[in-house]
Amino acid sequence: MTNRTYTFLTAVIGVICGFVIIRSFLFADSLTVRNDLVQGFFVGAGLGVVAVEILARIKATRINGWITVFGCGLPSNGIFMRAACARIFPGPVNVPQEAMYWRTGVDGAGHTLSGEHDYILHFPPGGLPPNDAFWSLTMADEKQHFVANPIDRYSLGDRSGLAQNPDGSVDIYLRTATPAGHQSNWLPAPAGRFNLWLRVYLPGAAILHGEYAVPPVVEARPSR
Amino acid sequence: MTGYQHLLLFGSVVVAACFLVVYFWPRILLSVYKRAILVKGFGEGPIPVNTLYTEPQAVFADPLRAAPTSGSNLITTGVNRDTLLMVGWLDLRKGPQVLHVPDMGGRYYSVQLTDPSNNTNFAYVGKRTTGTEAGDYLISGPGWTGSVPQGMTRISSPNNSVLVAGRTLVESDADISAAYALSTQIHLTPLGG
Repeated sequence: MTNRTYTFLTAVIGVICGFVIIRSFLFADSLTVRNDLVQGFFVGAGLGVVAVEILARIKATRINGWITVFGCGLPSNGIFMRAACARIFPGPVNVPQEAMYWRTGVDGAGHTLSGEHDYILHFPPGGLPPNDAFWSLTMADEKQHFVANPIDRYSLGDRSGLAQNPDGSVDIYLRTATPAGHQSNWLPAPAGRFNLWLRVYLPGAAILHGEYAVPPVVEARPSR
Repeated sequence: MTGYQHLLLFGSVVVAACFLVVYFWPRILLSVYKRAILVKGFGEGPIPVNTLYTEPQAVFADPLRAAPTSGSNLITTGVNRDTLLMVGWLDLRKGPQVLHVPDMGGRYYSVQLTDPSNNTNFAYVGKRTTGTEAGDYLISGPGWTGSVPQGMTRISSPNNSVLVAGRTLVESDADISAAYALSTQIHLTPLGG
């Protein structure tokens, strides 16, 4: 199930629950205790799913289209934070001092990422993610699986020998076809929609203090 | 009952059920991991409790063509081409487990110890917290009162169940077998066993 489908289903659950609540206000006199309990349980459970979705959106930080949550996995977290983190990073997520993760399915302008377009992720000089272990940018299809490609490359990062521009900046090319002369910085995209994951392990102080902004993914030729 | 009382009862049940779902959400999520580890496995059969399993080198090297055809796919979803994953599920009711880590030679690695009741991490063993030298760590459950053998560091778990997630950095395709050899040396033994 893709994220989009999940959000849609959550919205449907919310609407159904809202309808049942409004109806019970209109016909409160004809209710039975059994219906109060049964309907209340299902409506509450449905609203719980909606609440987790809303919490995830409240706790998430979105910069340049990239989504992350600061402070996941800490034992001091309350129930709302724990639920939001479990929704956005479905798994045993690391504490921020160990690793930070960002994901995006949109470019800097908010348009859905798709292999129909060519994109560039431009890190300014000295703007690669600060870390004491490693960083990587990984391509995923709509269902968060690896993307098959002719050069068997699934991610780029500190260990992949990225070429620098003359000014020290780094461009990563996100597209289905090889960028001529820039194969070392090519991260192959699928034909359809895709997602990007940025991982930074042992992130530097600038990241932990929220001072580092991941640059936006920019469409290379907007009017194709 | 009047309509007002019905609404009060209905509303209370709604609020209670809503909080229950939010509260138990992380636990439900990690129960999927528990089932994946102890029941389904990752293509090579279920992983016994108190055992650590490292994803096969072939799966890391070629995640699309060598993906396991049976078992859970949790280890291969999540698009990770940086670290070899290691997972395990601990049951500390019968006594503590000792986590042995080899000398990682400066390589980035972490062993994340997660409380599956709320998906928070009560301890880490790894480069950030304990360095990369060899070591033995005693993981004890709540209420354990024995003495810690010399040379071991005690880690107290708030829960008798623990989800273990390990990550060992792979520097390049040529480095996969070296990383795998190190990851498989991270292992568990029962205390006194």
